[in-house]
Amino acid sequence: MMLRVRFHGRGGQGAKTASRILGDAAFNDGYYSQDFPIYGAERRGAPVAAFTRFSDGEITERGFIFSPDIVGVMDDSLIDDPLANPFAGLRKGGCAVVNTTKRSDALLADRKDATIIAVDLTGMALKMLGKAVLSSGIAAAVARVAGIGESQFLAAVAEELREVGLSEEMVRKNVELAMAVYGQLAPLELRTEELPTKLELVPLAVVVSGEGMEDVTRTGNSAVRHTGNWRTFKPVIDYEKCTDCMICYAYCPESAMSVREDGRVAIDYDNCKGCMICLTECPLRAISQTMEGGTR
Amino acid sequence: MSTATRFRTLKDMPKEDYLSAGNTMCAGCGGILAVRIFHKVLGPNVAWVNAAGCMTIAMSYPLSPLKSNWIYTAFASAPAGAQGVRDALDVLVAKGKLPVSEDMKVVVVTGDGAAYGIGFQSTAGAIDRHLDFYYLCYDNEAYGNTGFQMSSSTPYGSASKTTPPTAANPIGNTHKKMDLFEVWRAQGAPYVATLSNSHGVDFLKKVEKGGTVKGPKLYIDFAACPTGWGYDPKDSIELEKLAVQTGVWPLKEAVDGVVKHTLVPRSLLPVKEYLKRQERFSHLFEPAEMTDVIRTIQSSVNAYWAEAGAREGFSVKVPDSA
Repeated sequence: MMLRVRFHGRGGQGAKTASRILGDAAFNDGYYSQDFPIYGAERRGAPVAAFTRFSDGEITERGFIFSPDIVGVMDDSLIDDPLANPFAGLRKGGCAVVNTTKRSDALLADRKDATIIAVDLTGMALKMLGKAVLSSGIAAAVARVAGIGESQFLAAVAEELREVGLSEEMVRKNVELAMAVYGQLAPLELRTEELPTKLELVPLAVVVSGEGMEDVTRTGNSAVRHTGNWRTFKPVIDYEKCTDCMICYAYCPESAMSVREDGRVAIDYDNCKGCMICLTECPLRAISQTMEGGTR
Repeated sequence: MSTATRFRTLKDMPKEDYLSAGNTMCAGCGGILAVRIFHKVLGPNVAWVNAAGCMTIAMSYPLSPLKSNWIYTAFASAPAGAQGVRDALDVLVAKGKLPVSEDMKVVVVTGDGAAYGIGFQSTAGAIDRHLDFYYLCYDNEAYGNTGFQMSSSTPYGSASKTTPPTAANPIGNTHKKMDLFEVWRAQGAPYVATLSNSHGVDFLKKVEKGGTVKGPKLYIDFAACPTGWGYDPKDSIELEKLAVQTGVWPLKEAVDGVVKHTLVPRSLLPVKEYLKRQERFSHLFEPAEMTDVIRTIQSSVNAYWAEAGAREGFSVKVPDSA
């Protein structure tokens, strides 16, 4: 039997590393396995995906996984992002592990045929690692659900994280985090539907150019991208303390700050990526940060 | 050359943005910030000529943050592309097909990979032909777009994908950073300057000043790179500041070949303060401090400032490198 796992994350969260840890863990546990990311022009914060296949027989399948048995969603803001579309192709009877502070039944109401598991991995990572890196956490959740043995899995966490160059201290902390996540969950007996051996051709609808898409001839059209959902933390200006010195405005790499008509600085939350340069540079500490809703 | 400036404090930074929000660069990117500030000074009529690098991804179809014009060339050819754009504009203006008010400033924008290495041959040709253009290099000291491989701009002691610290070579990169400023100056470029986003007023003034010069103008912007250098994006400006305060990144300009430092620190902070904040230098501190390597870096900074001071008549108190 083969399990196909697809990880969705944002660049920098560790989707690729998670797929490697899972692949290595499955291998340690006696399976054939393969893992690989989508190689593209991904940036920190941009939606990315990575894949792991493992099987008790040889794997002859190659390429992206379009019909996963399990998806690992590392950021719940990806659910509504058409560029990510993490549940696409999730098989009937499959499972989605979602990093979120929301309840699992609030996430995928229209998919009663799949098991949705909600875990607050960002919260655990911030507490145990000091930063929102989620590779070991999401790999742990998926490995546990898929029934991979604990010692084989933890060995893979240490091995892969050493290989990407983490210090021994960070490796130890990640193993602890992975153990905590692994211990929270239980193996799931997956009864995913068989894939059809022959695929039907889907007739494509005729789309009139320019309808339903951004006007590509308009300059500066990137604001519709809404990079605001890349944020983990959100900067908030205290206008009582702010003296309009314009330092935050000058140093914002995103043009996500503008000067209003009344001369005050305003933040464009649709596109602020939450780099927090403004918070660091504000000489009066008039900018504070709050955690984004959900796990953003 | 005019010395009057409209920039006294950061409050004088023009409020018009020619980059809209929603670009795809990493959070905290120094490179896109340099493009944003540069554009503010130049105004709306700009034709950017780009060669492969991180910024290429920012302006990719179908969404672009840019409100002006952009042309993409092959990696080695941005200054050659700039020649074509400049010539075309000149011809259109001469024929009366383009009003002078709509003429554009031609700006090559590349990372250090193209500026110091792959694109240098066509750059040399453009300087030689005295092409009237700006060259903005956002220098993050490696090929950041492809995963941080070493470039000619990578400093001594930096780890990169292609110069990882190993048992056989624990130092990382053993080459010295190429001095692009001096190369341009030696070739006779009329205006050459270094920039740091952290010193915004200095940045604005230099772009303004270069605008009064006809011919090839180079700006090397020290562009902090959270992904490649390994630090929290919130510290981008802090690291750029530290590079200036430790003397690692001198702020200077050369007008018709005469070098002048636009910021002379009274005393320098130890380079260690700058190095230890970044993952790319972490092997110099862990597991054991590589004192000889850090000393080599400090001495080269000290030597630089001693020489510059002797030439320009200033003295800078430098940290002990013994």
